[in-house]
Amino acid sequence: MIKKSILISLFFLMITSCESDDICPESSQKTPRLIITFYDISNPELRKDVENLAIYRLLNGEMEILNEINGINTDSIAIPIRDDESISNFKFYKNFTPIDNTPNGIDNHIFIDYEINEIFISRACGFINNYNILSFYNYDPSDPSTNQVNWILDYVILNNLVTDENESHIKILH
Amino acid sequence: MKMNHILKYYISFLSFFIFFQSYSNNLTEIDTLDKFGLRAGIDIHKLFRTISKNNYEGLSLNADLRISKKLFLFFEIGNEKINNESYYLNTTIKGNYIKAGIKNSLSKEIKGIENLIYVGFNFGLSSFEQTITQYIINNSYNAVWGEAIINEQIKLSNLNALWGEISIGAKTKVLKNLFLGIEVQLKTTFTQKNKDGITNLYMPGFNRTYDSSGIGAGFSYTISYLVPIIKK
Repeated sequence: MIKKSILISLFFLMITSCESDDICPESSQKTPRLIITFYDISNPELRKDVENLAIYRLLNGEMEILNEINGINTDSIAIPIRDDESISNFKFYKNFTPIDNTPNGIDNHIFIDYEINEIFISRACGFINNYNILSFYNYDPSDPSTNQVNWILDYVILNNLVTDENESHIKILH
Repeated sequence: MKMNHILKYYISFLSFFIFFQSYSNNLTEIDTLDKFGLRAGIDIHKLFRTISKNNYEGLSLNADLRISKKLFLFFEIGNEKINNESYYLNTTIKGNYIKAGIKNSLSKEIKGIENLIYVGFNFGLSSFEQTITQYIINNSYNAVWGEAIINEQIKLSNLNALWGEISIGAKTKVLKNLFLGIEVQLKTTFTQKNKDGITNLYMPGFNRTYDSSGIGAGFSYTISYLVPIIKK
């Protein structure tokens, strides 16, 4: 009788000790970034590098540079957009040379308006966001005094739905 | 620390259980009444959790009725409310459940139901609601804009689940007509209704769910009182 009870108690201790917290696997679906590719304004099918590109995000009047995009030569970028609001504001600089931590170069405002679709992944991963781009501006629509286009001359929304990072969503012509 | 407390609780309960079981073994030889009757009980593990944890409330009442020398009909009704907190999700699940099934005694001595080891099979049916009270959008690049903490509740009501479970347990007599029981269950979901593609993280009566399978587990400690109906 005692043997049996010990066996049973071991059995349920085994079961209950397996209640560890799940870990969100690296392979799970992620919140995608916005993919932007740069093309030549005079030949819109041709990719064209931006010289010394730097991107700042604008949040409550404060500018902060994106870590990996701080004066690089590139024809494509991936940038995260806001999850707590459905608009994001950026400053895109070309020919960027920082002087005493103040941005210096030719800047261009970027405004993106989108819908957020929350998608449940799992207990451990929670929710991710996908986005549906409603509008994209190469100036600041909230401030008409500065709605000038500097170096981003035109754009095309290639894919409204931002669900992964496999294809470009926005084409910028410069 | 928490684990320590839980272990202490298990171990003290087990020693208590084993002590009484060996103690009552001696009793059995004297007390050879073969009682048929309704045994009504309460799950003291759920009571203990309700008292000791502030994220859990639960009550479960059960009854078994002996229908033959080996077989018992089993019923359980219960109510549970649990708050689950993890990094990305805070949820509250509450609801009711019923279980019904049969238990088959493995004890050789037919006369002594004072000590009972059994296997059983139950069906369980649960009706519940799950509310996501707060969540953080999982974004690997949230260093740029900050974490998006969403406080809008997502309430998913009229959820339900049907499952089957195999139970293994033992009951031992501790006082006249008073029994202490322990049981483990292995469960498998037959059907469940969830909403908005959101997993049912916990189902009252079924307990925690697992993403990869419909398998679950549970256990109970019960104190039950035998109301003798037939004495032979």
